[in-house]
Amino acid sequence: MERNDTRRLSRRRLVAAGVTAGITGLAGCNDILGSGSGGGGTDNSSQSIGQIGSGRSPFGDRSIEGGTSMAAMPALSGELTVYSGRGEALVGELVGFIDDLYDDFSVQVRYAGSSDLVNQILTEGDGSPADVFYSVNAGSLGTLAEEGRTSALPDDVLELVRDEFQDPDGQWTGTSGRARTIPYNTDQWSESDIPTDISAFPDTERFADEVGWAPTYGSFQAFVTAMRVLRGDEETRQWLQGMLDLGVQEYSDEFLVCQAIADGEISVGFANHYYIQRILAGRGQETPLATAFTNGDAGSIFNVAGACTLNTSDKQELGANFVRHLLSAEAQDYFARETFEYPLVSGVDPVGDLPRIDELNPPQGIDLTELADLEATVDLMRDVGVL
Amino acid sequence: MIRQLADSPTRRIYTPNIQMDAEHAPGPDDTASDATESTQSVDSAESLAESTPRLGVSLAAATVAALVLLPLIWLVRLAFDVGLSEALALSLRPQTLEVFANSAALVVAVTAASILVGVPLAYLTVRTDLPFRRFWTVAVSLPLVIPSYIGAFAFVTAFGPQGALQRLLEPLGVQSLPRLYGLGGATLVLTLYTYPYVYITTRAALKSMDTTLVEAARTLRHTRWEAFRRVTLPQIRPAVAAGSLLVALYTLSDFGTPAIMRFDAFTRVIFVEFNAFGRDFAALLSLQLVAVTLLILAAESRIRGDEQVYGGGRATDRVRLGRWKLPALGLCGSVAGLALVVPLAVLGTWFFRGASDVGSETLAFDISYVLNSVGVAAATAAVAAVFAFPVAYIAAHHRGKVATLTERATYVGYAVPGVVIGLALVYLGTSYAQPIYQTLYLLVFAYVVRFLPQAVGSLRASFLRVDPKLPEAARTLGRTPSGAFRSVTLPLVAPGLFGGMALVFLTTMKELPATLFLAPTGFETLVTRVWSAYSQGYFGRAAVPALILLAVSGLSMLVIVSQEGYDVK
Repeated sequence: MERNDTRRLSRRRLVAAGVTAGITGLAGCNDILGSGSGGGGTDNSSQSIGQIGSGRSPFGDRSIEGGTSMAAMPALSGELTVYSGRGEALVGELVGFIDDLYDDFSVQVRYAGSSDLVNQILTEGDGSPADVFYSVNAGSLGTLAEEGRTSALPDDVLELVRDEFQDPDGQWTGTSGRARTIPYNTDQWSESDIPTDISAFPDTERFADEVGWAPTYGSFQAFVTAMRVLRGDEETRQWLQGMLDLGVQEYSDEFLVCQAIADGEISVGFANHYYIQRILAGRGQETPLATAFTNGDAGSIFNVAGACTLNTSDKQELGANFVRHLLSAEAQDYFARETFEYPLVSGVDPVGDLPRIDELNPPQGIDLTELADLEATVDLMRDVGVL
Repeated sequence: MIRQLADSPTRRIYTPNIQMDAEHAPGPDDTASDATESTQSVDSAESLAESTPRLGVSLAAATVAALVLLPLIWLVRLAFDVGLSEALALSLRPQTLEVFANSAALVVAVTAASILVGVPLAYLTVRTDLPFRRFWTVAVSLPLVIPSYIGAFAFVTAFGPQGALQRLLEPLGVQSLPRLYGLGGATLVLTLYTYPYVYITTRAALKSMDTTLVEAARTLRHTRWEAFRRVTLPQIRPAVAAGSLLVALYTLSDFGTPAIMRFDAFTRVIFVEFNAFGRDFAALLSLQLVAVTLLILAAESRIRGDEQVYGGGRATDRVRLGRWKLPALGLCGSVAGLALVVPLAVLGTWFFRGASDVGSETLAFDISYVLNSVGVAAATAAVAAVFAFPVAYIAAHHRGKVATLTERATYVGYAVPGVVIGLALVYLGTSYAQPIYQTLYLLVFAYVVRFLPQAVGSLRASFLRVDPKLPEAARTLGRTPSGAFRSVTLPLVAPGLFGGMALVFLTTMKELPATLFLAPTGFETLVTRVWSAYSQGYFGRAAVPALILLAVSGLSMLVIVSQEGYDVK
């Protein structure tokens, strides 16, 4: 029952979106719907594009608001190869949805780790079969752009997302966001116990042997990179050394950090925001795990997952239009509900009790491409003995 | 043919070294059940070996060695991009040396522990009247098919300081369990998932051993332990060394387990470089790993000693365990329990918890994953067998440097982390073999590069156990060299070949890094499904493919076992 309502609701929105997008958009929409649903009537067709999946989330039901519908976007046709650093568990349903939307469009996805895929694309050179690269972080995209392996996205794709979430030269765009956060155990600390300044952590004696981090993890290295950009190498070195002296515990990834905090093995850590949400979704809201933010420093940077088209591909237009679909209202709503990420298209809100994107307080004076310089960061971390 | 020979007296005497099973049960029925044509052919006369097609075989062996060393080209080429001073600085900085020492300690510890677990299990399942022997035979070899990172994750979840076990014990006042992380934990987990190499090779050697020697020792008033030490041990030493080599090299090249067990191993440095897109440094470090591998290979060459024992022979009654029965069952049960039940239970718990699997419907199970896994693993086993043949033959029949080098060369790919081999083949594939890039051909080749030594080692040992007088005798009976090979040598080495293929099959089933790089896009196997779910934290979804991986592998083991004429008595 609820489900039907949601559907009807989203259909109304869809029609509205089509109208505002103009006659061509609407015509395109009909076309898509007609073929996508196997020649069904309007009722069928509304099912083929509303919300992706059930429309439910562990944090309550919601419906699509804001953004541009896929129905108002250029139809996709042909074959496309996507290298995805984002896992199938997270984005498989979305990609499958786009694939199913068009009869003469098929997308092949190669799933692996983002940095593995960057290494693969760089190693493949001109022989790369990939058309689009879909990454978990800006760093991987920046590396490909720096190595001259990307092509500029069209302006009308880029303008869907705020400038700060994409490459200044338009080589890639963010598709969803993640905030750096401080997960903490609520049995042991209240929010006021968590410093709002990242530089205060090494001197917080009560956190001795209580802090967890995952220094081999890309997002953590991006955070250290941000600290280098904002405070310089020397201060970053002292911060890392201070954390080591504090008895920081190392984990192999940030999901494990959050799990250890929820278990009480440690009580505070550094992690991307969605790991916390995922554990809360899995274990229930009564789990003693909560999110804190630092204020306007490296500890609160906002990074993006994003996509680019590769310049070795001979399907530039199709690739760009696929990226455009990742920025559709449906896809953005999907990110919020299913992967607990921040939608980047304005008007689509995050789930749970997460602050809205405008309420976050990321540091000023740093852009995401600067986070791509991992090599100097790794050198520094290694020097200190963190790696 | 093979079946017939398997029951023949000839085979009973010259059982090849490495085989999964071909039990020499004592008993009246199998003494001379069917004297077959090979025995007959052995009886006539003519001359022999000089006409063996040695040159062709040598060329084939050299070709195989060259093929599997190809990926090194990429490593060397990339490593040259690193300046000399930088290279030295990276190699000699204290952290590199420290993780180097860590890796060395881990390799020594895991290898020693694997021998301590693998040899007794082999002895119990071959030489004693252990209850449910057949069940244990398969059960204790199954940990081989569990990806060790899954095992590591399960152990951390179950036995971590605040893991499942602690939560169970909490009412009893247990606040925290001792830390499982570090060298101890990494050794425990790696041992549980690699000891089967030692177990399998040792089993085969024990089976083909002439146990009347042990009895002779016993009549000379040796205690059972002395008899084991002075008679059995020297006979199984080469097999134990071969298994230990596989364990040592696996440990050296493993990424996942040390990372999860929070132990700094050498591979972690490579991993960090790759993640920071420093492919050249990663290549350089990988070459250092190759250098260590060469050291280990040289060491094993010395330890395995003189293998030219065409021994084997009559097996007498099994050792009665008597009051040792319970401790023996305890050992089998606790090893299988720790290595198999813990990961399954942990995955199962996540499976039933379920709620965390929001949005993971795409990870639903499909039968094609099983077919894909089994298909590529079987193809790899077949190709590895063909590749291994000339190498093993040459290595067993020539004592020369070239033969040794050829055989040892096949081990290099095994000791380089899979991610490195994978990327090297990405380079070779896109640069020189575009038509087969990301096709099953290149994927199977990658597997062969990674796992060939498992087949070579097994087959070589089998060749060593074939008394050269036998094919010679066949030649004197008028067989052509190839005829003699087909009708005498081949059946004798067949069980070893099967054993080697089984190892390749099972390890291919769980291979991940090269699969992710080289499988055709959209080609999903059981292990890529496990990874997809696991890497995103959807552990429940990992349970289903992991269970099926285990079941399919277990079935394959049973097939292999029955192929080799296991006695069901």
